[in-house]
Amino acid sequence: MRPFGWRSLAASSLLLAALASAATRPQYGGTVRISTRIAPASLDPADGAQQDSITRRNLTRLIFDTLVTLDNAGKVQPALATSWKAEPGTQRWEFWLRHDVKFHDGSPLTGDAVAASLRTANPKWSIFPNGDSVVIECDAPAPNLLAELALPRNAIAKRTAPGKIFGTGPFQIADWQPGKKLTLQAEEGYWNGRPFIDSIAIEMSKSFRDQMISLELGKADLIEVAPEQVRRTMMEGRHVVTSAPVELIALVFARDRQSAEDGKLREAVSLSLDRASIRNVLLQGQGEPAAGILPNWISGYAFVFPVDANLRRAQELRGEVPRAPVWTLSYDAGDPLGRVIAERIALNARDAGITLQPSLSGTADVRLVHVLLGSIDPHIALANVGASLGLSQPKFNGSSVEDLYQAESAILRTQRLIPLFQLPAAYALSPSVKAWNQERDGTWRLPDVWLETEKP
Amino acid sequence: MLKARHNAVYNSRVPKMFISYLRPPRGVCPYLLVFFSLYFSAARVWAADWSGPEQQLASKIASVTGPGAVALDVASRSSISKIDSDEIARGLRARLSTLGVQYAKAEQAAASVQISLSENLQNYIWVAEIHQGAGESSVVMISFPRPAGGTVGGQSPAPTIRRTPLWSQDERILDVVSLDVNGKPLHLIVLTPEQLGIYRFQDGRWQQDQTLPITHSRPWPRDMRGRLVLSKEHLFDVYLPGTFCQSTAAVPLSLSCRDSDDPWPLGNEQVILSGFFAPRRNFFTGVLVPGVGNQTTAPSFYSAAPLPRDKYVLWLLTAVGGQVHALDGITDQTVARLGWGSDIASVRTTCGSGWQVLATQSGNASTESVRAYEFPDRDPVPMSQTLEFNGSITALWTESGGSTAVAISKNSEMGGYEAFRLAIACGQ
Repeated sequence: MRPFGWRSLAASSLLLAALASAATRPQYGGTVRISTRIAPASLDPADGAQQDSITRRNLTRLIFDTLVTLDNAGKVQPALATSWKAEPGTQRWEFWLRHDVKFHDGSPLTGDAVAASLRTANPKWSIFPNGDSVVIECDAPAPNLLAELALPRNAIAKRTAPGKIFGTGPFQIADWQPGKKLTLQAEEGYWNGRPFIDSIAIEMSKSFRDQMISLELGKADLIEVAPEQVRRTMMEGRHVVTSAPVELIALVFARDRQSAEDGKLREAVSLSLDRASIRNVLLQGQGEPAAGILPNWISGYAFVFPVDANLRRAQELRGEVPRAPVWTLSYDAGDPLGRVIAERIALNARDAGITLQPSLSGTADVRLVHVLLGSIDPHIALANVGASLGLSQPKFNGSSVEDLYQAESAILRTQRLIPLFQLPAAYALSPSVKAWNQERDGTWRLPDVWLETEKP
Repeated sequence: MLKARHNAVYNSRVPKMFISYLRPPRGVCPYLLVFFSLYFSAARVWAADWSGPEQQLASKIASVTGPGAVALDVASRSSISKIDSDEIARGLRARLSTLGVQYAKAEQAAASVQISLSENLQNYIWVAEIHQGAGESSVVMISFPRPAGGTVGGQSPAPTIRRTPLWSQDERILDVVSLDVNGKPLHLIVLTPEQLGIYRFQDGRWQQDQTLPITHSRPWPRDMRGRLVLSKEHLFDVYLPGTFCQSTAAVPLSLSCRDSDDPWPLGNEQVILSGFFAPRRNFFTGVLVPGVGNQTTAPSFYSAAPLPRDKYVLWLLTAVGGQVHALDGITDQTVARLGWGSDIASVRTTCGSGWQVLATQSGNASTESVRAYEFPDRDPVPMSQTLEFNGSITALWTESGGSTAVAISKNSEMGGYEAFRLAIACGQ
């Protein structure tokens, strides 16, 4: 028999093995500390008065479940509903509920509870329990109902008294100081497996800067990172994770197009915009220039809407309008990035002969807005943008990609909206956070996260 | 609950099988055979698949341009390969030609058509931007589903740990048992969180014999684990967190499951030891039955591996706290840290002392690896190169014979789970 080669391997291997990190199984325990900018006054997923944000949606998903979810390929997956059926015409749907699921107050998930929850979020639907199932009757055909039910606002919640709310999600509320602090505790009997971490402590109303300081001081494990800070944060060696583009930055006109001349001026503004420079300089290379509403990873055709500036054509259009009004351009006072983008847009427009005056006034002619796409289903995302901005709802003549394109084009043709960029959600993590994973739309998978403890 | 889930209207996952279990001639990498077989079969399928979309898009373009000369440009913005996109461009030109649309240079064309082969989450999106006359433009597009999954990737086998693919599927695999007769596979049992799949090797491929659902009253923990153990009285037992299932002995098989905190077997046919598993966690509690000598408790651990000695058995435990403990019946010593992961399994071989430990460890980025260690005394000595896996290793169990182990890996590129048999080949 030949002598074993392994003896000669030993010395170098010992060194290499010592350097390799251990492929450990997830460990239970610990608290993940999160800082956020948002400061919601309510955790009710159906409370439309609260400002929408990715972080708020993430908080909802920690406490509540929906009947179904969408996976990263946009396919519907069962959650609180294990199966479902649509009647021909897709106006009437029936959902069979998962057994043995309990709300965090210990009461069982029932058809009555699900119907009551969904009625709060969707007063126009007729919803009633039917034994083990729940029936939803919409006022019109609803081929995209499953994607709609996957939205956080349709999460199933039990409302027992004003301000008292219970979910069935992986974490239950341990302490809630509205707008300031939220502590969540792992739900031992969670139907989809108890989370690895014991609890989550969320500090709210923290600026990006304060969040970064907390991370640097070891007081936070998960923070939000401003788009323009992503590159720098990564260069500092921090663990930064980003989603696919999920947020649209756009200019929104306060009024419908008033005349053909008004339309020419709006087109001139759009053509004057040097999105590439704004992205490279102000956004530090983050995000994607956009002239369409949906990002390409959702629609597949975003490139047909041209994003390149055409100053000459913009000037021609401006020249066709004898007298151009001065438009005010407002931005969010709490958004320093918004201010510098608004100023750059005003400069671009001035080159085309149009005056845009940046302003903090809420009653401006044009607003610089951030709007969440909200769903990876393109039809729902388009409808969500329309609803968020007070635009007319998209009209789909069918379910094909061409119908989607026509609906999106119709919104753009109204000239109420000039898309600028699609931005990803970005977070920085402390080194102790393991198995971090997020959906393409920026949704955290915190139940899968675990914290590495110091090893001897 | 389970019944309802299986009746759901969404599509159930279709298991993908490694196309050949039989080992290829010496010197031929088994992965290459799998890879090339799948590659060429996929190529055949796709060569035929583009024709429909080509025809559909060509018809839409022709309906806008009408017969005449057009300038055509095709660009890929998708995962479609250059070879395929060139093939598609040729196909589109040919189909447009049959519709009276002739390809011409831009200066001679009445219209220009820019075709983009794009994609979104689920579909290929082929878009044609058509420019006619001064400023007139229109957009037509088609979509069709993208193929799911792809070819099976693999790494070259390391010189001393031999890896044989057993099974592959999208759903999580907890354990696999291969029933071989004269070294040839006859049956394969695949344990998943919700069911057992039983397959028969027939006509050169695996065919499903039976599917046995697993009933359980408690929710499964995350990082789900489970073990299949062959039995002499009946066919097999299934150990799951808080649940125990037993098969019947007669065909067709059935499976009866009950809530149970019975200890899971940790050893093999030669070495008997069991450990209690925490029903809502991913580790063993540390309570051992009947114990290692006088030792009936140990720190909570993820996995255990026996190393039989002349007069005792040395048990290695990978503790939840990160240390590796060695129990010999009297003492509990912490072994030198070697960057081991949570999963270990011992195998009986004809090399060295006759027993080696296979241990997981992290590789680059999302890969993990397995390496064999010899224990000449109390400290481990690496005896093989690392065997890289294309993803994380989610289970590593010694097979019932004791001379091989089963490793389950989650493929980080393709998604899905792959089961392999690991054996140590001496002197290579």
